[in-house]
Amino acid sequence: MAIINQATKELQVKIVYYGPAKSGKTTNLEQVHQNVQVPETSAKGKLTSLATSSDRTLFFDFFPLEAVAIKGFKTKFALFTVPGQVIYNATRQIVLRGVDGVVFVADSQYDKMEENVETFKHLEDNLKTLNLKLEDIPCVLQYNKRDVPDAAPVEYLDFLLNNREVQMPTFEASAAKCDGVFETLNMITRMLLHKFLNNGARK
Amino acid sequence: MGQFPSLNQADIEHFDKVFDELLGKSEANLALLVEKAGYLIHQRGSQHSVDTTTFATLGSNAYNAVQFMAQLVNETNFTSMYQQGEKFSTLMVNVDENSILVLIFPTHLTVGSIKYFAGPAAKALAARIAVAAGRDPGVGIDLSDMDAADVQSALFQKND
Repeated sequence: MAIINQATKELQVKIVYYGPAKSGKTTNLEQVHQNVQVPETSAKGKLTSLATSSDRTLFFDFFPLEAVAIKGFKTKFALFTVPGQVIYNATRQIVLRGVDGVVFVADSQYDKMEENVETFKHLEDNLKTLNLKLEDIPCVLQYNKRDVPDAAPVEYLDFLLNNREVQMPTFEASAAKCDGVFETLNMITRMLLHKFLNNGARK
Repeated sequence: MGQFPSLNQADIEHFDKVFDELLGKSEANLALLVEKAGYLIHQRGSQHSVDTTTFATLGSNAYNAVQFMAQLVNETNFTSMYQQGEKFSTLMVNVDENSILVLIFPTHLTVGSIKYFAGPAAKALAARIAVAAGRDPGVGIDLSDMDAADVQSALFQKND
């Protein structure tokens, strides 16, 4: 859950990039880290990756990013990834603790559809262990690797992952080229701020 | 899991007082109050070149991982975590359901003495957090004067 510090006028929000192994979660964070415009260098923290020797995420990647102040509140987004491999599911649960918003990075390659669906199911199960429901937190679907030759049609990905009463926003992306990366990030941050706006009005 | 409460200036001043006393008595270098989701709530002491934001995130996730290990051996709680280094060591102590106290201290200090002073400090921090939670239960940020237009534009732009 987000942290609100009235004393320092800060709002801290946690976004987790979730998805199957090698779908491009870490690449999303790397692209944001490399390419984001910041008013001052201190607004962009260091990208920390706890990875194996073969550059596979072992625990998580983490990158703090400050946005322009809104109504006097400095908004700090903590961007995380989880390891994609199923054997690290316990680690995914740990990283999901306190999550405010989720970006699900799906792999568009045809032979990855089963993994996409399975990982999405794991996400829902892991949220349940934290007494959260997917419907209750902002979530964006990113269909990554749209540039590969055997990419499944978007309609098929929608059918598999977004076949629900209230659909989640979706973005096509080629994270390695930074296409769709900022669109995805801006959507999830917008959804989160809208959520806080609506909740804040009840004071 | 409850939500960490909204803090006001008096809370921060109280934390400063607790931290100053803790650092003074224990001779630790740095004290951090960290929410278990990874947020750095407050810090006091000598930062040197420590990236405290990253340190807090790594610390909280490591602590959460150890709690997960505790569950696997049917231990309800491992309340603290200690790492000894050559120059500096760290101790993480549970504060309450949502937060931990992280201390960085020179290795020549014993972990026993650090724990001795950290215990009461953690209790004092927990008590103040409870006061904050009681004052404003479940209430988030007051953005009632905002409208949707404030968040319509893209927050983050890509470099050209």
